[in-house]
Amino acid sequence: MTRRILFLFFLMGSFISVGQQIVNHQLIARNLGEKEMHDGVVIRTFGFAQSFGEQPPIPGPTLYANEGDSVVLDLFNVSQGAPHTIHLHGLDVNQENDGVPHLSFEVHHMEHGYYYFVAPHPGTYFYHCHVVSTIHVQAGMYGVFIVKPPDGSNTTWDGGYSYSQEKLYTMSEIDPLWHEDSVMEHDHDTTQTIHEVSIPEYHPSYFLVNGQSEQQLLESEIVLQSAKEEVSFLRMANIGYLANRITFPEELNAKIISTDGRPIVNPEISDTLWISPGERYGVLIEPIVDLIDSIEISYVNMNTLTSEDIQYVPVLVSGTNGLNEVLIKRTFELYPNPSADQFYIKSFGQAYDCINIYDAMGRLVHVENHDYTEKKSININLAEGIYNVEILLSQCVLDTLKWIKR
Amino acid sequence: MDLKSFLIFFLWLSFSFNSCSTQVNDTLFINSGTLQTYNGSSINYSCFNESDAFEKSNKVLSYLVTDTVSLTIINNDNVAHLFKVNELGVESQLIIPGEQETVLIHSLNSGTFIYHDAENFPNHKIIGLAGILVFRNGNYSSFYWNLKEIDTVWIKDIAENNMVSTIYNPKFFLINGNNNPNINEDSLARVTGNVGDTIIIHVVNTGNSIHSIHFHGYHLKVEQSSEHPSHVGRIKDTFPINPMEVLTLELVPHQPGEYPVHDHNLIAVTGANIYPNGMFLTMLIEP
Repeated sequence: MTRRILFLFFLMGSFISVGQQIVNHQLIARNLGEKEMHDGVVIRTFGFAQSFGEQPPIPGPTLYANEGDSVVLDLFNVSQGAPHTIHLHGLDVNQENDGVPHLSFEVHHMEHGYYYFVAPHPGTYFYHCHVVSTIHVQAGMYGVFIVKPPDGSNTTWDGGYSYSQEKLYTMSEIDPLWHEDSVMEHDHDTTQTIHEVSIPEYHPSYFLVNGQSEQQLLESEIVLQSAKEEVSFLRMANIGYLANRITFPEELNAKIISTDGRPIVNPEISDTLWISPGERYGVLIEPIVDLIDSIEISYVNMNTLTSEDIQYVPVLVSGTNGLNEVLIKRTFELYPNPSADQFYIKSFGQAYDCINIYDAMGRLVHVENHDYTEKKSININLAEGIYNVEILLSQCVLDTLKWIKR
Repeated sequence: MDLKSFLIFFLWLSFSFNSCSTQVNDTLFINSGTLQTYNGSSINYSCFNESDAFEKSNKVLSYLVTDTVSLTIINNDNVAHLFKVNELGVESQLIIPGEQETVLIHSLNSGTFIYHDAENFPNHKIIGLAGILVFRNGNYSSFYWNLKEIDTVWIKDIAENNMVSTIYNPKFFLINGNNNPNINEDSLARVTGNVGDTIIIHVVNTGNSIHSIHFHGYHLKVEQSSEHPSHVGRIKDTFPINPMEVLTLELVPHQPGEYPVHDHNLIAVTGANIYPNGMFLTMLIEP
């Protein structure tokens, strides 16, 4: 309560210029959430909701403020067990509002905690729990905080680029083992700064974009739909424990213009973008042709530097009924890539009966004949290099994928 | 006099005639010992130390750009080593056990570099032999982070001359040989200063993994990136760093406080089921 009164005095004594407001957000911390994955499996989650009647979504609700707004964030902890906090990742708030338990404050069951700050540079930021963050972030306690320019317009920052629409893509992963009670219901002694907890090895099996994966990415909120020559602003953020390698269709003319809430002085025109855990990037796109394609998001293991999975965000330029075509286009997936002596071919429902592997000189170096419909492990000992993997059915080539052997 | 000795003599002569150059003599000792992990196990480890007593962190070499450094490396280990700084074209002769070699090091530009053992690379690097070399323009407030993760299975295999046959899977994550909370006891690592100071942080990744270092409380400017020169000038709060990459970061704190810095691959802030362990420390900025 004292902090609230002090903040109100601060606001009364402060000069708030025209257009700048006091913005209130409330997040309700829950630890009995449930999330249904793309394959129907239901896992337990922690998370932040905005009402008592809803499951805490993953990611949490996207919060907004305009540059210069005074933000009051009310964390109401309605969950038993360990306390929770809000760390305002990248917003450079003062120590008291930073959300690190032993350096700030923690919010216990049925308590409110209030965070106060003035919204800084326009950009994309995270909020997440910082209590045993390794477990609580994986459990789902994260979301994105977006700061718009002072006038709230569709401009990247005051005097920056104008755009007609923006899309937010937040990448993360889920290892179901980490969502079992034995991990989530960890002991927590609030008098200690170091905690002994059970932290399993991390082997994620769900690779998420905005909490969705596989066929869920065909939902309209995920699909990047644009008119030709329309400028869109993509906010791309990674809160997972793997790195992301993003590949844009070159027809999108992707331009990387900002990172971590600050403009990039010399914007980079590139169809490839790496985003490591905790980073955010702003990307402008302006397609110049009609297009049905996808943004490829690879999830790269930070230790082995190999891709563990690839997800595809559909892209439709000037198209309104192209989702099925996108689905057909992504019939097969090859991963991890690059890899050593083993990789997998995953089929999205398409039967095939033969795999041919060609080296860079076009020589056929390996053939496998079987009937497959789902995932197939290929074990092969070849020299390092780039290979073309041809997938066939009844001698018709269905797809050709590139494999990098390292 | 062989060709290499002649070249070293010629370089030394060239630097001697440069009126701005200062001759600096320094010594590194290659020592072997054991590293205690947080769960109490011991693994074989080697480092470039400043004396013949084994320390679990490699000595930070920091000089002015006007310095010409004559660095003698003494091998106290029982296998041969080879000192190398890729970016500066510095490479010693093979240093056999019990012997020493001297190299001349000079840099025209300020910057952060990695020195490492190039013999049996990357195995000798994996067992610890890689450190930070800095050439600076002046006497800034500077801090040094040598990021390195530990896969105990790999290190055991390398130490026993076995073939490494497992997927790289480190369980311990260190800065200058320490994990949280001990990193804060390292005055070279723990950032301290005042609001408005210009603070330089020299970061090197001598491990095999990518790390993604997130700062609470502040954005910093990239002064140098060995793998991504186009990133110089970017202002960020999270900095990925690839294996054998170096970053030089500038921090000018705008507010006081104690703020964490940690790897945002949150697996790397754990170790032996302890949180926060691993690559986690705090900065202390006074008003």
